[in-house]
Amino acid sequence: MELHSDETLWYFFKKGEHNAFSLLFKKFYPQLHVYGTKISSSPAITEDCLQNFFIQLFEERDKPRNIKNLKAYLFVSFKRRLIKQLQSNQKNVPISEAQLFKTNFNFSAEEISIHQEVQFLCTRTLNSLINQLSPRQKEVIYLKYYSEMNITDIAEVMDMNYQSVLNTLQKAMKKLRVSSENQQIKTILKKN
Amino acid sequence: MKNNDLNLSFFLEDASFENWARGLNKNDIEYWNLWIRNNPQHIETVESAKSIILGVSFVQQYPDKIKVDHELAKILPKLAIEEPAVKPKKSLRSSQKIFLLTTAAIFLILLSWNGLSLFNNYNTTTHKTNFGEIIDLKLPDGTSVVLNGNSKISYNKNNPRLITLDGEAYFKVKSIPSTNAKFWVLTEDLKVEVLGTQFHVNTRKKKTNVVLDEGSIHLEFNNGTVTKMIPGELVSFSKESENLIHKKVSVKTPYALWRGGTYAFNEIPLKEVMFNIENTYGIKVLYSNDSLKNIPISGGIPNQNLKICIAAIEKATGTRIIHKNDTLQVTENPINN
Repeated sequence: MELHSDETLWYFFKKGEHNAFSLLFKKFYPQLHVYGTKISSSPAITEDCLQNFFIQLFEERDKPRNIKNLKAYLFVSFKRRLIKQLQSNQKNVPISEAQLFKTNFNFSAEEISIHQEVQFLCTRTLNSLINQLSPRQKEVIYLKYYSEMNITDIAEVMDMNYQSVLNTLQKAMKKLRVSSENQQIKTILKKN
Repeated sequence: MKNNDLNLSFFLEDASFENWARGLNKNDIEYWNLWIRNNPQHIETVESAKSIILGVSFVQQYPDKIKVDHELAKILPKLAIEEPAVKPKKSLRSSQKIFLLTTAAIFLILLSWNGLSLFNNYNTTTHKTNFGEIIDLKLPDGTSVVLNGNSKISYNKNNPRLITLDGEAYFKVKSIPSTNAKFWVLTEDLKVEVLGTQFHVNTRKKKTNVVLDEGSIHLEFNNGTVTKMIPGELVSFSKESENLIHKKVSVKTPYALWRGGTYAFNEIPLKEVMFNIENTYGIKVLYSNDSLKNIPISGGIPNQNLKICIAAIEKATGTRIIHKNDTLQVTENPINN
């Protein structure tokens, strides 16, 4: 059960309240951890970066921020910090944000539920189908169904407008549907 | 929105469509099955919207509690967290001012129920919420209503677009361009006439407040005058005092924030916040000292659970609030003095 709305939590966090920091940390650390590890492929770098991120968030709590949605704000500011960190780790070979997502942002078979709500999605191969999507499509799918964000918040995290997020999502789901159907047809043809 | 130009958002933003896609609510399933039969040209967008709603099921592999607690223990010593009691009161006030929102939420007091009894025959459908309960409704014509605690709407089955409201509600009216069918909300003080639009009506505190989010509406007051509203405006009218206020409210005001379960306040005296609580939960508030009534509150107060709500108000005002039977006793907090 969630006792505190994000607005209330953030309000008390800004006041430097005793428990607010711990509550905020416990609520968002797990989600940021998975998101960060997807981007970096390294739990160690992610955890390091998360520690510094939360310390800075606390120390600069009086800084005026334009926050529409706390979760989206934390996702986007942590993402920026992590990417900066990863880029500075690779000084010799400069690496772009797009490249990072291309090489790292993948899903494992363990992360895919056996019970897919959508009939056309067959689980056995679903993770490989998702991994074949473009980096942006993968990130949209991740934020929407793994992190359970709404389109407006995804738009903020990915720095896109509402309509482009929707289009990306629609294309991704269509691609999944078509390739999933193709695979099923192939399997049926083999059997005969 | 024109009927031949429906995009994905039209379906995705509709809670009842989501119920249909997930096969959840019997009324919604029937409503959308019928809608699709009557609008076969939109089947592709419908399918697309459905697949977006159902999406991909993931097994979320978040780090466990032990891991998170461990990381938290590592970070806490690095922070200079002050104990709340040690913190000087002055700085509390100033940080409250920075926080959150720009305009006052609306405060509410109950009307008499007399006017409604006229409609109580077998042809009338009534939806009523208990104290502290917020419900989402879908009317037969497709209009969405969010009904706040201790509120009631009713309508005649033969005319589901004429709604009587007592309390507080948010409406998102389905437009029917083909017939130009209008939609009305009746309160003790006035009548709201609507085409497709989104607005908020509150009849507590012996007056009616209307805030318009989208579209355009006409108001007809019980004294016969008519006025037009544009988005972003607030109209407040009481038939008792005949006092009419018509003004612009700043964008993104928290007028209808209660839909998300939070009341937001900006420098609002405690007594007005408590008015709100009295109506939503049906309790009486007593003060040990009149000066307590004017302590300003800023911030978000969760409104779906009285206990948490009280705790948040205590913190924001530095008072003690004791809940006994049907009363709340507000006293000074001995620690602060």
